[in-house]
Amino acid sequence: MNMKELQGMLEMTQLEAVIKDHISREFVQDAALLPLANETPLLETGILDSLSLLSVMVFVRERFGIVVHDVDFVPEHFASVNAICAFICARTGETAARGTDHE
Amino acid sequence: MSESAAEAAGRAGGRRLAGADRPGTAAVARLLHRAETVAYWLAVAPLAARLPARTAYRAACLRGDLQFRYEVSKRSEIVSNLRCVLGDGVGPQEAERLAREVFRLASCEVIDVMRLRGRARSLRKLVEIRGAEHLDAALAAGKGAILCSAHFGSHHCAFSLLHTSGFPLTTIGRWYKDAPGLSFAERRFWDLVHTRRMLRHRQRPMIEPWPGQVQVALQAAAALHANEVVTICSDAASLDAGSNRTVEVSFLGRRARLVPGVVSLSRLTSAPVLMAFVHRSADYRHQVLEISPPVPMQGETAAAFGRCVTAMDAAIRADPSHWICWGKTDVLASLGLLPA
Repeated sequence: MNMKELQGMLEMTQLEAVIKDHISREFVQDAALLPLANETPLLETGILDSLSLLSVMVFVRERFGIVVHDVDFVPEHFASVNAICAFICARTGETAARGTDHE
Repeated sequence: MSESAAEAAGRAGGRRLAGADRPGTAAVARLLHRAETVAYWLAVAPLAARLPARTAYRAACLRGDLQFRYEVSKRSEIVSNLRCVLGDGVGPQEAERLAREVFRLASCEVIDVMRLRGRARSLRKLVEIRGAEHLDAALAAGKGAILCSAHFGSHHCAFSLLHTSGFPLTTIGRWYKDAPGLSFAERRFWDLVHTRRMLRHRQRPMIEPWPGQVQVALQAAAALHANEVVTICSDAASLDAGSNRTVEVSFLGRRARLVPGVVSLSRLTSAPVLMAFVHRSADYRHQVLEISPPVPMQGETAAAFGRCVTAMDAAIRADPSHWICWGKTDVLASLGLLPA
């Protein structure tokens, strides 16, 4: 494992921690669901409903500076902590690539 | 549809007509009512809508008067609910007059629906839109706009006119054709006579907030993100029994429990909320759609939502017969306006 991969793993862990912390604080009402696992289905368990789903999207957009597109307004991106992290990584990767293109 | 003339017609299908007290005659009366509804929506209203407006709406009022006379049970329900909710302000005679108006307005709305054909020009020349500049200004900011209304007047047709006037518009609501308990034939019928006509004048499919539909807010946000208009009727009861999403607000002199989704959506998307109500004039054919400046969304959720509810309350008190919920005792009870 090289340094870049290690750094990537650390960033991913931090990202997961930020997302989990936000969802746990704001939306989890049943203490039995804590601590949240990365794979916990947020929609099926009722942790997120329609408006809180949008709230998570707004949080992600503001906290990580992600530009959202029309296609991003789907629940699948917010189905679990893993899904949210994958969504953020995909979008930040896109933004970085676009920045590199401009350079 | 959501709840409007179509629902009023559908619900009345299960009610008694005058002289239909015995079980056998009740079934016949129900059948007759359904036949009349089908005939009115499929034949009479489409033909009447092609006549001069004065004649068309006069015919609709006549049909409303006949329903008022023969649908005794429905009429009694409306009168009772009006008096119970509005209290001493509505005496027996006034309640009867308002009930007659409820029937007339429901019939007139069907003519409105039929006049949406083509690019809705035949309806547009009868409806004055006031306050469109507020909507223009809201959209100029690029965050979309939320039009908050009530199940009041011919609101769906008015929203259709806004769309044909150049405002890309999507509605949050429930089609009557999707209501639980309807047969396949009934669903097909309402889809044919109502839903399809409305959908032609919407930017996106109706966003239907049935229980378990988690994508509702995201769909609305997508429309607002595209700088479009989203309409929502905030006088609907929550479908989730014991929902903790409702707030208690002062509405029609009671403490009602309503869902402040409009406030949450506005805060999350930064889209302004404008109130919109359509009033039918005394000649029944002309209408005015009034759009307000943006409602302040500051403060606690209940306080911000309270401003929207105050506007709904004022519109309903000004024209009680325009509110289509008077014939729905279950809805009034679920809102907290009548004893459960």
